Amino acid sequence: MTCLAGIRSFLKLWKSKPYLGLGPGHSHPCLFLTDCGLRNQQRWFSLKTMSPQNTKAVNMLAAKGRLVKKRDEDGIKQISPPSLFAAGAAKKRSEMNPPNKDHTVLLQRENTPLPTKPLSSEEWDKLKEDYTGKGNFENWIGAQMSRNHSSVDVAKSLLAWVAAKNNGIVGYNLLVMYLHICVFHKQTSEVVDVYEIMKARYKSLEPGAYTLLIRGLIHSDRWREALQLLEDIKKVLTPSVRNYDDCIQGALLHQDVNMAWNLWEELLSCNLTPMLETLKAFFDFGKDIRDDHYSSKLLDILLYLRNNHLYPGESFAHSIKTWFESIPGKQWKGQFTTIQKSGQCSGCGNTVEPIHLSPEEYDFLKEKIMMDVIDGGNQYRKTTPQELKRFESFVESCPPFDIVIDGLNVAKMFPKARESQSLLEVVSLLAKQNLQLLVLGRKHMLKQSSRWRKDEMEKVQKQAYCFFADDISEDDPFLLYATMNSGNHCRFITNDLMRDHKACLPDAKTQRLFFKWQRGHQLAIKSVFPGSHIIFQHTVDYDTVVQTTGDSWHIPYDEALVERCSYEVPTKWLCLHRRT
Amino acid sequence: MSVFFKMNVSVTFIRPFARYLVPLTFPKKRNLYSAIMQRHMSSKIPAVSYPNKESTSPPEQLELDGWKTTMKSSVQEAVSTVPSSKDEDTVAATRELIEMWRLLGRNVPEHITEEELKTVMECTSKSAQRKYLKYLYIKENLKRAKLLKKEMKAAAKKEAQKANLFETTEENKEQNFLFLRFWDRHKNIAMGWKGAQAMQFGQPLVFDMSYSNYMKPKDLQNTVSQLLESEGCNRRDIDPFHIYFCNLEIGSAYHRELVRYYGEKWDKLLITATEKSYVDLFPKDNIIYLTADSPNVMTTYKHDKIYIVGSFVDKNIQSGVSLAKAKQLNLATERLPLDKYLQWSTGNKNLTLDQMTRILLCLKNTGNWEEALKFVPRRKHVGFLDISKHSEELLNRLKKAKTFNSFPKRTLSRQTQKSWYE
Repeated sequence: MTCLAGIRSFLKLWKSKPYLGLGPGHSHPCLFLTDCGLRNQQRWFSLKTMSPQNTKAVNMLAAKGRLVKKRDEDGIKQISPPSLFAAGAAKKRSEMNPPNKDHTVLLQRENTPLPTKPLSSEEWDKLKEDYTGKGNFENWIGAQMSRNHSSVDVAKSLLAWVAAKNNGIVGYNLLVMYLHICVFHKQTSEVVDVYEIMKARYKSLEPGAYTLLIRGLIHSDRWREALQLLEDIKKVLTPSVRNYDDCIQGALLHQDVNMAWNLWEELLSCNLTPMLETLKAFFDFGKDIRDDHYSSKLLDILLYLRNNHLYPGESFAHSIKTWFESIPGKQWKGQFTTIQKSGQCSGCGNTVEPIHLSPEEYDFLKEKIMMDVIDGGNQYRKTTPQELKRFESFVESCPPFDIVIDGLNVAKMFPKARESQSLLEVVSLLAKQNLQLLVLGRKHMLKQSSRWRKDEMEKVQKQAYCFFADDISEDDPFLLYATMNSGNHCRFITNDLMRDHKACLPDAKTQRLFFKWQRGHQLAIKSVFPGSHIIFQHTVDYDTVVQTTGDSWHIPYDEALVERCSYEVPTKWLCLHRRT
Repeated sequence: MSVFFKMNVSVTFIRPFARYLVPLTFPKKRNLYSAIMQRHMSSKIPAVSYPNKESTSPPEQLELDGWKTTMKSSVQEAVSTVPSSKDEDTVAATRELIEMWRLLGRNVPEHITEEELKTVMECTSKSAQRKYLKYLYIKENLKRAKLLKKEMKAAAKKEAQKANLFETTEENKEQNFLFLRFWDRHKNIAMGWKGAQAMQFGQPLVFDMSYSNYMKPKDLQNTVSQLLESEGCNRRDIDPFHIYFCNLEIGSAYHRELVRYYGEKWDKLLITATEKSYVDLFPKDNIIYLTADSPNVMTTYKHDKIYIVGSFVDKNIQSGVSLAKAKQLNLATERLPLDKYLQWSTGNKNLTLDQMTRILLCLKNTGNWEEALKFVPRRKHVGFLDISKHSEELLNRLKKAKTFNSFPKRTLSRQTQKSWYE
């Protein structure tokens, strides 16, 4: 075990140093080169981490950086795809640092093989005798069968055997198991039979059985009884989104559009987040309907996606496209595209919405960050009132900043380099562009040590405004506040994803607002290896959200094969516009 | 419904008939019912006619739908098994739901009181409901097991008494004893003396009871039981602390729970419970607040300081609450040197209150960290770091080269464990 762990960590060591020529990270220098070629479209700058010998080279590079800066307007628009928040980026990052332990889940082999054809009662008896596990044989085999989706006949023979042993009575759990198998194999007549039995034997059921019955019944002629079952669930619990999904699908299947919309309204009024399948079903059904009312409802769904920052999946995106294109007379044309860095749609050339917050939203977010992230009901938890006052008066006394730097995060970026040296490099690079800088740090950074050299810190203080918090205070809230306070143009540099601070915010809406602001204002350092160039990953200029201009729709969607984390946004778009 | 009944009835009339007809008219056909009939009629005869037809006969030959009829026909009998109440209010519905979950084999209690049912219905989410029901289920099982054990013990005791009665009645009389058997009472009195002495001359140990609004009711209960445990082990110690419960407001949830657990004993406890804060009782410079979030590590146990332990079970992730409190009052803070002495593996660095008390008691009596940190749960660390052999200098050097820090030690202990497991 120890040996293995040792080898793994060794592997990790190798993989995390791509300049040795191994691992996926090796592509970094190449990436940088390709960026060079695209310089005109992608604005960026870079810097070689300084080592005393090649200061000349660095100066040259820095000069180059300035050149680039001159070409650009505000000088700090550097992009190197993919963005920190692009879909799949977290997966890639995690692949760069594989976890130490492989969680290989060994599937437990059953000692009794499951029957593949119906057995007679004698055969069941024999099987039961062979069974050596603990617990009830009938329950165990039932669970196994429903897990492995045995055929209906086998399950039925089991039930017949149990019933024969037990005066014709089959237990509730076996009945539900059988129902599960029937529903899985879409045996509607069997589902109806079981439904009759359950209705006869039990006054009420539990949500699991209700869910299965609803799912089974919607395909039959008695689909309206599924709605009755939904009512039964409501007596005690809130039905799940799946229940609503099934009922809506059933209603659409039987052309009862009003019922479907009613259920949709009900679902929303329960504060449930609908399944994307439900929405897709509405769009799929809409293809055959020529009805303005229905169309406007579908547009409402798209607005719902927008307001709740939901993104359709790939097949859903296809459904949306098909529906739009099926509208007669309007001549919608849809295509799957990407958005360029400038925020222009590659398909139609229109610019999508910028990521800037409206002034009201901005003020709201600022206040919330102050209230919930920094203060949080107890100012002593993250800082002290004295320190907060000191910081506020410090911020007041300074001009608005252009860039706020998380000193500790930047300094620890390069594990091989000295902390103060890395910080100084980043700061002096930015200072050369006449930007107002603020470096946030902790007091211990000022103490002379092997990692923090006093002379370098003094140079940092000459080139930037600095604020050093107490060693036991958190610096991130200060970072957020200083950036927000400086205004919309201000950016901050850190590789922290700020998820813990986002979690401090009270509701999902504020969190989405924070995320939007963060995407628009966070610069992350891309290269993590000493000796390579510092590439800032610039913010995107456009917001990734479902949007319309009346004549066009731009809908970001999730690709089927890309895994997206909650703090990432899709990169693919569906562009719809009307042919003129 | 009516349609269904009609169908149902007609089927039930035909089916039982079929039962008898089938084996008689078509004796060759092996179906399930014939098999049962055969077994019923000739139970003594072993089933020689075991059908090896499974390869030849298609599956339709097995009578598979028969159970449906019986299931449908036995309506009345079945309904009576399910507790059915006529009123359609949600309480009854919830009760039925729980009963159905139980039939499904879910982890729900068999019996549930009205009050618990109310709590179930007040749960805000489905997962909260499920958790609470599971908690009740486990509680019920434990209770049942305990009761069973008790009964068995009582039975065994009776047996033993019966046996004893015949054997050793006369022997006992002849023995000479120095003491009467009042061990427990003597022990209690002695502990009371020690406690009274601690009240006068003992070193204070403060439990800060100001966290009740950071905790849920269940966490608060856990806290109180940990406090009970702490007080118990302090009482038994050779040189007890003088325990203070500070910031304990009368009528607060803490106070109610403590009084409930201690009962009459509460007023006779040899501790100081006060509504005042520790900063009012002691000079600020002497106070040291113990918290795992503290940046300062406790190096030695100081006999002239007043240590404060926050009585707080932090199940939610609210890091830094006690540190914030100490910061607010401008108190010195310290944490236990767990990383210095232990090879930490998993778990929170927060220890329970009774573990904390035991560690402090041990430090007070011996001053030996290795001895004191034996009270840290074994699952949380891999083993003790052997720092007594190394000089301080070496330790510092090891600390710098973080990757090699204690590496050989770990491999050693892992290897020895490995041989145990495999």
